Amino acid sequence: MSDGTAATRRRLLLAVGAAPLALAATAAAAPRSDLDILEGLLALEHRLDSAYDAALRRGALEERLALALRDQEREHLRGIELAMTARGRRPPPAPDPDSGLARSLRSAGAFRRYALGLEGRAVRSYVDALASLRDTRLLQPLGAIMASEAQHRVALRMSLGDPLLGV
Amino acid sequence: MAGSLTRRGALGTAAVVVASCGSSDPPPSTGARPGSGAGLLNSILALEHAAVAAYGAGARLLRGQALRYAREIEEQEREHVRRLEELITGLDGTTARPRSADEYARSFPLLGNGDDALRFARDLEQRLVRAYLQALPKLPEAELRRAAAEIGADEASHLAVINVLRGVPAAPQAFVTGTL
Repeated sequence: MSDGTAATRRRLLLAVGAAPLALAATAAAAPRSDLDILEGLLALEHRLDSAYDAALRRGALEERLALALRDQEREHLRGIELAMTARGRRPPPAPDPDSGLARSLRSAGAFRRYALGLEGRAVRSYVDALASLRDTRLLQPLGAIMASEAQHRVALRMSLGDPLLGV
Repeated sequence: MAGSLTRRGALGTAAVVVASCGSSDPPPSTGARPGSGAGLLNSILALEHAAVAAYGAGARLLRGQALRYAREIEEQEREHVRRLEELITGLDGTTARPRSADEYARSFPLLGNGDDALRFARDLEQRLVRAYLQALPKLPEAELRRAAAEIGADEASHLAVINVLRGVPAAPQAFVTGTL
Protein backbone atom coordinates (compact mmCIF):
# COMPACT_ATOMS: atom_id res chain seq x y z
CA MET A 1 0.00 0.00 0.00
CA SER A 2 1.41 3.38 -1.02
CA ASP A 3 1.73 6.26 1.40
CA GLY A 4 -0.78 8.19 -0.68
CA THR A 5 -3.43 5.45 -0.41
CA ALA A 6 -2.93 5.14 3.36
CA ALA A 7 -3.26 8.88 3.80
CA THR A 8 -6.46 8.92 1.76
CA ARG A 9 -7.89 6.07 3.86
CA ARG A 10 -7.01 7.90 7.11
CA ARG A 11 -8.73 11.04 5.85
CA LEU A 12 -11.76 8.98 4.84
CA LEU A 13 -11.90 7.29 8.25
CA LEU A 14 -11.52 10.60 10.00
CA ALA A 15 -14.28 12.08 7.90
CA VAL A 16 -16.57 9.14 8.59
CA GLY A 17 -15.78 9.32 12.31
CA ALA A 18 -16.14 13.05 12.42
CA ALA A 19 -19.63 13.15 10.98
CA PRO A 20 -21.40 11.55 13.97
CA LEU A 21 -19.19 13.57 16.32
CA ALA A 22 -20.20 16.76 14.57
CA LEU A 23 -23.85 15.76 14.78
CA ALA A 24 -23.48 14.93 18.47
CA ALA A 25 -21.80 18.26 19.11
CA THR A 26 -24.64 20.07 17.35
CA ALA A 27 -27.19 18.14 19.40
CA ALA A 28 -25.33 18.92 22.61
CA ALA A 29 -25.18 22.60 21.77
CA ALA A 30 -28.84 22.84 20.76
CA PRO A 31 -31.06 23.91 23.65
CA ARG A 32 -33.51 21.24 24.71
CA SER A 33 -37.18 21.95 24.21
CA ASP A 34 -39.41 22.44 27.23
CA LEU A 35 -41.08 19.11 26.47
CA ASP A 36 -37.74 17.30 26.37
CA ILE A 37 -36.82 18.86 29.71
CA LEU A 38 -40.15 17.78 31.19
CA GLU A 39 -39.63 14.27 29.83
CA GLY A 40 -36.23 14.09 31.54
CA LEU A 41 -37.74 15.20 34.84
CA LEU A 42 -40.55 12.69 34.45
CA ALA A 43 -38.04 9.86 34.04
CA LEU A 44 -36.33 10.93 37.26
CA GLU A 45 -39.64 11.06 39.11
CA HIS A 46 -40.42 7.53 37.88
CA ARG A 47 -37.09 6.36 39.28
CA LEU A 48 -37.82 7.96 42.63
CA ASP A 49 -41.31 6.46 42.69
CA SER A 50 -39.90 2.99 41.87
CA ALA A 51 -37.25 3.37 44.54
CA TYR A 52 -39.63 4.27 47.38
CA ASP A 53 -42.15 1.69 46.22
CA ALA A 54 -39.45 -1.00 46.34
CA ALA A 55 -38.28 0.28 49.73
CA LEU A 56 -41.83 -0.06 51.05
CA ARG A 57 -42.06 -3.67 49.87
CA ARG A 58 -38.58 -4.57 51.11
CA GLY A 59 -38.60 -2.62 54.38
CA ALA A 60 -35.56 -0.59 53.35
CA LEU A 61 -36.93 2.61 54.86
CA GLU A 62 -39.27 3.43 57.74
CA GLU A 63 -42.76 2.64 56.42
CA ARG A 64 -44.28 6.02 57.19
CA LEU A 65 -41.42 7.88 55.52
CA ALA A 66 -41.30 5.60 52.47
CA LEU A 67 -45.05 5.96 52.00
CA ALA A 68 -44.96 9.74 52.34
CA LEU A 69 -42.05 10.13 49.94
CA ARG A 70 -43.51 7.71 47.39
CA ASP A 71 -46.88 9.45 47.45
CA GLN A 72 -45.25 12.85 47.02
CA GLU A 73 -43.22 11.58 44.05
CA ARG A 74 -46.46 10.32 42.53
CA GLU A 75 -47.98 13.77 42.90
CA HIS A 76 -44.93 15.21 41.14
CA LEU A 77 -45.34 12.59 38.39
CA ARG A 78 -48.98 13.49 37.87
CA GLY A 79 -48.14 17.19 37.74
CA ILE A 80 -45.45 16.73 35.10
CA GLU A 81 -47.62 14.35 33.06
CA LEU A 82 -50.40 16.93 33.05
CA ALA A 83 -47.96 19.64 31.95
CA MET A 84 -46.74 17.43 29.09
CA THR A 85 -50.23 16.46 28.00
CA ALA A 86 -51.36 20.09 28.04
CA ARG A 87 -48.45 20.87 25.69
CA GLY A 88 -49.34 18.10 23.27
CA ARG A 89 -46.98 15.27 24.15
CA ARG A 90 -48.07 11.94 25.51
CA PRO A 91 -45.99 11.13 28.61
CA PRO A 92 -43.78 8.08 28.06
CA PRO A 93 -44.19 5.05 30.33
CA ALA A 94 -41.91 4.49 33.30
CA PRO A 95 -38.40 3.38 32.30
CA ASP A 96 -37.01 0.10 33.60
CA PRO A 97 -35.62 0.41 37.14
CA ASP A 98 -31.87 0.95 37.09
CA SER A 99 -29.45 -1.68 38.33
CA GLY A 100 -28.32 0.59 41.17
CA LEU A 101 -31.72 0.24 42.83
CA ALA A 102 -31.53 -3.56 42.99
CA ARG A 103 -28.02 -3.38 44.46
CA SER A 104 -29.05 -0.76 47.02
CA LEU A 105 -31.89 -2.89 48.33
CA ARG A 106 -29.40 -5.33 49.90
CA SER A 107 -29.34 -3.17 53.03
CA ALA A 108 -31.36 -0.35 54.54
CA GLY A 109 -28.29 1.88 54.77
CA ALA A 110 -27.35 1.28 51.15
CA PHE A 111 -30.87 2.08 50.01
CA ARG A 112 -30.95 5.33 51.97
CA ARG A 113 -27.62 6.42 50.45
CA TYR A 114 -28.92 5.48 47.00
CA ALA A 115 -32.14 7.46 47.54
CA LEU A 116 -30.20 10.43 48.89
CA GLY A 117 -28.04 10.42 45.75
CA LEU A 118 -31.11 10.20 43.53
CA GLU A 119 -32.79 13.10 45.35
CA GLY A 120 -29.61 15.14 44.98
CA ARG A 121 -29.63 14.43 41.27
CA ALA A 122 -33.29 15.44 41.13
CA VAL A 123 -32.62 18.79 42.83
CA ARG A 124 -29.77 19.52 40.38
CA SER A 125 -31.94 18.53 37.43
CA TYR A 126 -34.74 20.85 38.55
CA VAL A 127 -32.26 23.70 39.03
CA ASP A 128 -30.97 23.12 35.47
CA ALA A 129 -34.54 22.98 34.19
CA LEU A 130 -35.52 26.21 35.94
CA ALA A 131 -32.58 27.96 34.28
CA SER A 132 -33.46 26.58 30.83
CA LEU A 133 -37.24 26.45 30.43
CA ARG A 134 -38.80 29.00 28.10
CA ASP A 135 -42.39 28.75 29.32
CA THR A 136 -42.37 30.87 32.47
CA ARG A 137 -45.67 29.33 33.61
CA LEU A 138 -43.76 26.15 34.41
CA LEU A 139 -41.22 27.80 36.69
CA GLN A 140 -43.15 28.17 39.94
CA PRO A 141 -44.76 24.70 39.94
CA LEU A 142 -41.47 23.01 39.06
CA GLY A 143 -39.74 25.15 41.66
CA ALA A 144 -42.23 23.87 44.22
CA ILE A 145 -41.29 20.29 43.27
CA MET A 146 -37.57 21.11 43.48
CA ALA A 147 -38.16 22.47 46.98
CA SER A 148 -39.97 19.26 47.91
CA GLU A 149 -37.03 17.12 46.68
CA ALA A 150 -34.66 19.28 48.72
CA GLN A 151 -36.78 18.50 51.78
CA HIS A 152 -36.72 14.79 50.95
CA ARG A 153 -32.93 14.95 51.26
CA VAL A 154 -33.27 16.29 54.80
CA ALA A 155 -35.75 13.52 55.67
CA LEU A 156 -33.34 10.87 54.32
CA ARG A 157 -30.35 12.36 56.16
CA MET A 158 -32.41 12.22 59.34
CA SER A 159 -33.18 8.57 58.66
CA LEU A 160 -29.45 7.93 58.15
CA GLY A 161 -28.47 9.82 61.29
CA ASP A 162 -26.43 12.26 59.16
CA PRO A 163 -26.19 16.02 59.75
CA LEU A 164 -29.48 17.36 58.39
CA LEU A 165 -27.93 20.03 56.19
CA GLY A 166 -25.40 17.62 54.79
CA VAL A 167 -22.29 19.56 55.75
CA MET B 1 -52.60 31.06 80.15
CA ALA B 2 -53.08 34.73 79.44
CA GLY B 3 -49.37 34.95 78.76
CA SER B 4 -49.65 32.01 76.43
CA LEU B 5 -52.55 33.60 74.59
CA THR B 6 -50.61 36.81 74.31
CA ARG B 7 -47.67 34.91 72.91
CA ARG B 8 -49.86 33.09 70.45
CA GLY B 9 -51.35 36.38 69.43
CA ALA B 10 -47.92 37.85 68.94
CA LEU B 11 -46.79 34.88 66.90
CA GLY B 12 -50.01 34.90 64.94
CA THR B 13 -48.96 38.22 63.60
CA ALA B 14 -45.46 36.95 62.86
CA ALA B 15 -46.20 36.53 59.18
CA VAL B 16 -47.31 40.14 58.99
CA VAL B 17 -44.23 41.23 60.89
CA VAL B 18 -42.01 39.18 58.62
CA ALA B 19 -43.66 40.78 55.63
CA SER B 20 -42.76 44.19 56.98
CA CYS B 21 -39.14 43.41 57.81
CA GLY B 22 -37.83 42.42 54.47
CA SER B 23 -39.09 42.08 50.98
CA SER B 24 -41.76 44.77 51.17
CA ASP B 25 -39.04 47.36 51.66
CA PRO B 26 -38.92 49.57 48.60
CA PRO B 27 -35.89 48.58 46.55
CA PRO B 28 -33.19 51.24 46.81
CA SER B 29 -32.57 53.34 43.77
CA THR B 30 -30.02 51.57 41.67
CA GLY B 31 -28.13 52.17 38.49
CA ALA B 32 -29.33 48.85 37.14
CA ARG B 33 -31.35 48.66 33.95
CA PRO B 34 -35.11 48.44 34.62
CA GLY B 35 -36.24 44.82 34.29
CA SER B 36 -32.74 43.50 34.91
CA GLY B 37 -33.89 41.75 38.08
CA ALA B 38 -31.71 43.89 40.36
CA GLY B 39 -34.71 45.47 42.14
CA LEU B 40 -36.34 42.11 42.71
CA LEU B 41 -33.10 40.57 43.99
CA ASN B 42 -32.68 43.56 46.28
CA SER B 43 -36.11 42.93 47.80
CA ILE B 44 -35.06 39.35 48.54
CA LEU B 45 -31.72 40.59 49.86
CA ALA B 46 -33.59 42.73 52.40
CA LEU B 47 -35.45 39.62 53.52
CA GLU B 48 -32.18 37.66 53.79
CA HIS B 49 -30.72 40.44 55.97
CA ALA B 50 -33.79 40.13 58.20
CA ALA B 51 -33.32 36.35 58.37
CA VAL B 52 -29.70 36.73 59.51
CA ALA B 53 -30.85 39.13 62.23
CA ALA B 54 -33.72 36.82 63.24
CA TYR B 55 -31.48 33.77 63.65
CA GLY B 56 -29.13 35.90 65.71
CA ALA B 57 -32.02 37.02 67.93
CA GLY B 58 -33.48 33.52 68.21
CA ALA B 59 -30.15 31.89 69.09
CA ARG B 60 -30.26 33.24 72.65
CA LEU B 61 -33.43 31.17 73.24
CA LEU B 62 -32.21 27.92 71.72
CA ARG B 63 -30.08 25.15 73.16
CA GLY B 64 -28.31 22.00 71.98
CA GLN B 65 -29.13 20.70 68.54
CA ALA B 66 -31.57 23.52 67.79
CA LEU B 67 -28.91 26.11 68.55
CA ARG B 68 -26.31 24.32 66.42
CA TYR B 69 -28.65 24.20 63.44
CA ALA B 70 -29.78 27.79 63.92
CA ARG B 71 -26.15 28.91 63.78
CA GLU B 72 -25.49 26.76 60.71
CA ILE B 73 -28.54 28.14 58.95
CA GLU B 74 -27.59 31.70 59.93
CA GLU B 75 -24.18 31.18 58.30
CA GLN B 76 -25.84 29.86 55.14
CA GLU B 77 -28.14 32.90 55.07
CA ARG B 78 -25.01 35.08 55.24
CA GLU B 79 -23.68 33.20 52.20
CA HIS B 80 -26.95 33.91 50.41
CA VAL B 81 -26.53 37.60 51.26
CA ARG B 82 -23.05 37.56 49.73
CA ARG B 83 -24.25 35.76 46.62
CA LEU B 84 -27.18 38.13 46.10
CA GLU B 85 -24.89 41.13 46.59
CA GLU B 86 -22.59 39.80 43.87
CA LEU B 87 -25.50 39.27 41.49
CA ILE B 88 -26.93 42.74 42.12
CA THR B 89 -23.55 44.40 41.76
CA GLY B 90 -23.05 42.48 38.52
CA LEU B 91 -26.26 44.09 37.25
CA ASP B 92 -24.89 47.56 38.16
CA GLY B 93 -27.32 47.73 41.07
CA THR B 94 -26.73 49.16 44.53
CA THR B 95 -27.25 46.56 47.22
CA ALA B 96 -29.81 46.98 50.02
CA ARG B 97 -28.16 47.51 53.40
CA PRO B 98 -29.32 45.72 56.55
CA ARG B 99 -31.33 47.64 59.14
CA SER B 100 -29.87 48.26 62.58
CA ALA B 101 -30.24 45.62 65.28
CA ASP B 102 -32.68 47.93 67.13
CA GLU B 103 -34.84 48.35 64.05
CA TYR B 104 -35.02 44.61 63.55
CA ALA B 105 -35.75 44.04 67.23
CA ARG B 106 -38.70 46.44 67.04
CA SER B 107 -40.13 44.72 63.97
CA PHE B 108 -39.77 41.12 65.19
CA PRO B 109 -42.49 39.39 67.24
CA LEU B 110 -42.02 38.90 70.96
CA LEU B 111 -39.92 35.75 71.38
CA GLY B 112 -40.26 34.26 74.86
CA ASN B 113 -38.77 30.80 74.42
CA GLY B 114 -37.25 28.33 71.97
CA ASP B 115 -40.63 27.30 70.55
CA ASP B 116 -41.36 30.92 69.68
CA ALA B 117 -37.96 31.25 68.01
CA LEU B 118 -38.50 28.12 65.90
CA ARG B 119 -42.00 29.22 64.89
CA PHE B 120 -40.62 32.58 63.80
CA ALA B 121 -37.83 30.79 61.90
CA ARG B 122 -40.45 28.65 60.15
CA ASP B 123 -42.39 31.74 59.11
CA LEU B 124 -39.23 33.37 57.76
CA GLU B 125 -38.16 30.28 55.83
CA GLN B 126 -41.65 29.94 54.35
CA ARG B 127 -41.44 33.52 53.20
CA LEU B 128 -37.95 33.05 51.76
CA VAL B 129 -38.99 29.95 49.80
CA ARG B 130 -41.99 31.82 48.43
CA ALA B 131 -39.88 34.85 47.51
CA TYR B 132 -37.39 32.79 45.50
CA LEU B 133 -40.05 30.75 43.73
CA GLN B 134 -42.10 33.83 42.87
CA ALA B 135 -38.96 35.52 41.54
CA LEU B 136 -38.25 32.73 39.04
CA PRO B 137 -40.62 33.83 36.25
CA LYS B 138 -39.63 37.46 36.68
CA LEU B 139 -35.86 37.05 36.39
CA PRO B 140 -34.79 37.65 32.79
CA GLU B 141 -31.49 35.75 32.69
CA ALA B 142 -30.97 32.00 32.95
CA GLU B 143 -28.10 32.38 35.40
CA LEU B 144 -30.18 34.60 37.70
CA ARG B 145 -32.92 31.97 37.67
CA ARG B 146 -30.32 29.29 38.39
CA ALA B 147 -29.06 31.23 41.40
CA ALA B 148 -32.61 31.84 42.68
CA ALA B 149 -33.43 28.14 42.27
CA GLU B 150 -30.28 27.01 44.08
CA ILE B 151 -30.84 29.36 46.99
CA GLY B 152 -34.55 28.51 47.04
CA ALA B 153 -33.63 24.83 47.41
CA ASP B 154 -31.39 25.76 50.35
CA GLU B 155 -34.27 27.63 51.98
CA ALA B 156 -36.55 24.63 51.51
CA SER B 157 -33.91 22.51 53.27
CA HIS B 158 -33.76 25.03 56.11
CA LEU B 159 -37.53 24.85 56.39
CA ALA B 160 -37.30 21.05 56.59
CA VAL B 161 -34.71 21.27 59.36
CA ILE B 162 -36.89 23.72 61.30
CA ASN B 163 -39.81 21.31 60.83
CA VAL B 164 -37.73 18.49 62.33
CA LEU B 165 -36.68 20.67 65.26
CA ARG B 166 -40.36 21.47 65.86
CA GLY B 167 -41.24 17.77 65.86
CA VAL B 168 -43.11 17.67 62.55
CA PRO B 169 -42.18 15.77 59.37
CA ALA B 170 -39.30 17.27 57.42
CA ALA B 171 -41.21 17.10 54.14
CA PRO B 172 -44.93 17.44 54.82
CA GLN B 173 -46.05 18.52 51.32
CA ALA B 174 -45.50 17.40 47.73
CA PHE B 175 -45.39 21.01 46.50
CA VAL B 176 -43.45 23.39 48.71
CA THR B 177 -44.69 26.83 47.76
CA GLY B 178 -43.74 28.68 50.90
CA THR B 179 -47.38 29.59 51.50
CA LEU B 180 -48.05 29.89 55.21
